[in-house]
Amino acid sequence: MALVALRNVTKTYPAPDRTGAPVVAIDQVDLEVEPGDVYGIIGYSGAGKSTLVRLVNALEPATSGSIEVDGREITTMSERELRGIRLGIGMIFQQFNLFNSKTVWQNIAYPLTVAGASRAEVAARVAELLDFVGLADKARNFPDQLSGGQKQRVGIARALATSPRLLLADEATSALDPETTQEVLELLKRVNREFGVTIIVITHEMDVIQSIATKVAVMDAGRVIEHGPVFDVFSNPQNPSSQRFVATVVKGIPSPAELAVLRERHDGRIVTISFRDGDASQAAVFLELARAGVEFELVYGGINDIQGRAFGHLTLALRGPDAAVDAVIATIAERVDVTEVG
Amino acid sequence: MDRLFELQSEFWVAAVETLYMVALTLLIGGAAGLLLGIVLYMTRPGSLLSNAPVFTIVNVIINFFRPIPFIIFIAAVQPLSRLVIGTGIGNNALIFALSLAASFAIARIVEQNLLTVSPGVIEAARSMGAGPLRILRTVVLPEALGPLVLGYTFVLVALVDMTAVAGFIGGGGLGNFALVYGYRQFEPAVTWAAVLLIVVFVQIVQFVGNWLARKVLRR
Ligand SMILES: Nc1ncnc2c1ncn2[C@@H]1O[C@H](COP(=O)(O)OP(=O)(O)OP(=O)(O)O)[C@@H](O)[C@H]1O
Ligand SMILES: [Mg+2]
Repeated sequence: MALVALRNVTKTYPAPDRTGAPVVAIDQVDLEVEPGDVYGIIGYSGAGKSTLVRLVNALEPATSGSIEVDGREITTMSERELRGIRLGIGMIFQQFNLFNSKTVWQNIAYPLTVAGASRAEVAARVAELLDFVGLADKARNFPDQLSGGQKQRVGIARALATSPRLLLADEATSALDPETTQEVLELLKRVNREFGVTIIVITHEMDVIQSIATKVAVMDAGRVIEHGPVFDVFSNPQNPSSQRFVATVVKGIPSPAELAVLRERHDGRIVTISFRDGDASQAAVFLELARAGVEFELVYGGINDIQGRAFGHLTLALRGPDAAVDAVIATIAERVDVTEVG
Repeated sequence: MDRLFELQSEFWVAAVETLYMVALTLLIGGAAGLLLGIVLYMTRPGSLLSNAPVFTIVNVIINFFRPIPFIIFIAAVQPLSRLVIGTGIGNNALIFALSLAASFAIARIVEQNLLTVSPGVIEAARSMGAGPLRILRTVVLPEALGPLVLGYTFVLVALVDMTAVAGFIGGGGLGNFALVYGYRQFEPAVTWAAVLLIVVFVQIVQFVGNWLARKVLRR
């Protein structure tokens, strides 16, 4: 059973001025997150990503549709019941949102106190979490004495304090430099692997998705326009907006400007062939080309690795009699994706 | 100068009266103002316990009374003072008027300082399942404590000023002392003695306030 299931969920905000139309932040979204997923949600600014996760822990009420968390419908719950649900969902933020008037220790203890844990339980759990995030020596420090990466690690410890099954991460690494981003992402991976915590990761950076997500949903103007396992979406994005996101990290697809240069430099017909592991091997494709007597040159390309599975895009310039080239394109198109680009 | 020496005991009585009025006003007006400020903060649209009618009523009342000049305010609330504490004159009536005026001013200062707490931090507390009153008590007030201390310091200094004004319309304290023995009897030394003591009060208050705020903010 899905841990989080959104069905036909819409969220509108009142118009910013009295005359305007209401803002549709989330538009008829369906989404299922299975236990153990690291579910990435990507989209441009204003796409509705933050709103979407804030619906999941009911920080905002949905306008219509159904939201189930752990099999329980939350859209009809009272505020008091919702507080119970929120105790079982951790959340981390782009700006960390630590309590500046509290020490690291007190920050992590806070949700435990809210949950009504005893003093001894709090002390034991906080110590355990400080160890897990590697900040045992910072327990008595205040947040303003920590680096960004350390602050986010405190944020993660605090979000995990009540042992939630679900963690929501809203742009959790967007305020960090690339190296610290990797550290925090590694920590999130451990949270997922070692504690089995399901994570929903919001980001506008495809490499965040690439490094930790198992599934991804692409959002645009309040809608989920494409979703599925990361490997599928990365290796074969269907939607133009998804394709743009994928192009920011996937190597091997020439941009229009690069294509223009390629066309100038090489005569013949230019095609891009896309492989996914499990498809026919490159060798088989090259063999077909040789057999057809079509001369080919590799002009652009790259092989990508997503969670141990490879896929790639190779752009070739093909020279030979038109009929032969047409025939060979048809033959290899039976084995791999072929797009004629010039 | 000799005159000042003769008036020594009156001078110290006046000083104690000023302290008494300021302290009691701070206690009553400070508490009422804190409460009103919290009500404003909690009930404003989009806040933790947003409640448009309550917010509007409190907001209008404060906006109505706040701009009234203090010296007129004292006269205006005299009937109310008679009703509530049984007298319209003397130090206690003055404390009543001062507390009322101070609570409106403090309400605004409290509201403004609470509003500086980042919405993200409140959202974090909400995401942990904390309720509105718990968030107020354990997040909003502690996070705003530094600026609140500075706000109260500001009010305390203003109160010393207001008690002195009150001397003109029958209250006791250093304002009255300066007026009766200094100004009316053409004794600048006496006036200046009162002024100096007020300056010393203000300096001490400001110093302690700054020190406390620094300690709270750990800076
Ligand atoms: N409280 C609100 N009141 C009114 N409109 C809102 C509110 N919150 C969000 N919106 C609107 O909803 C839309 C989606 O906003 P949201 O914050 O979910 O986007 P996002 O994808 O998280 O963007 P970003 O990457 O910039 O964080 C935007 O058009 C935004 O202006
Ligand atoms: Mg956002």
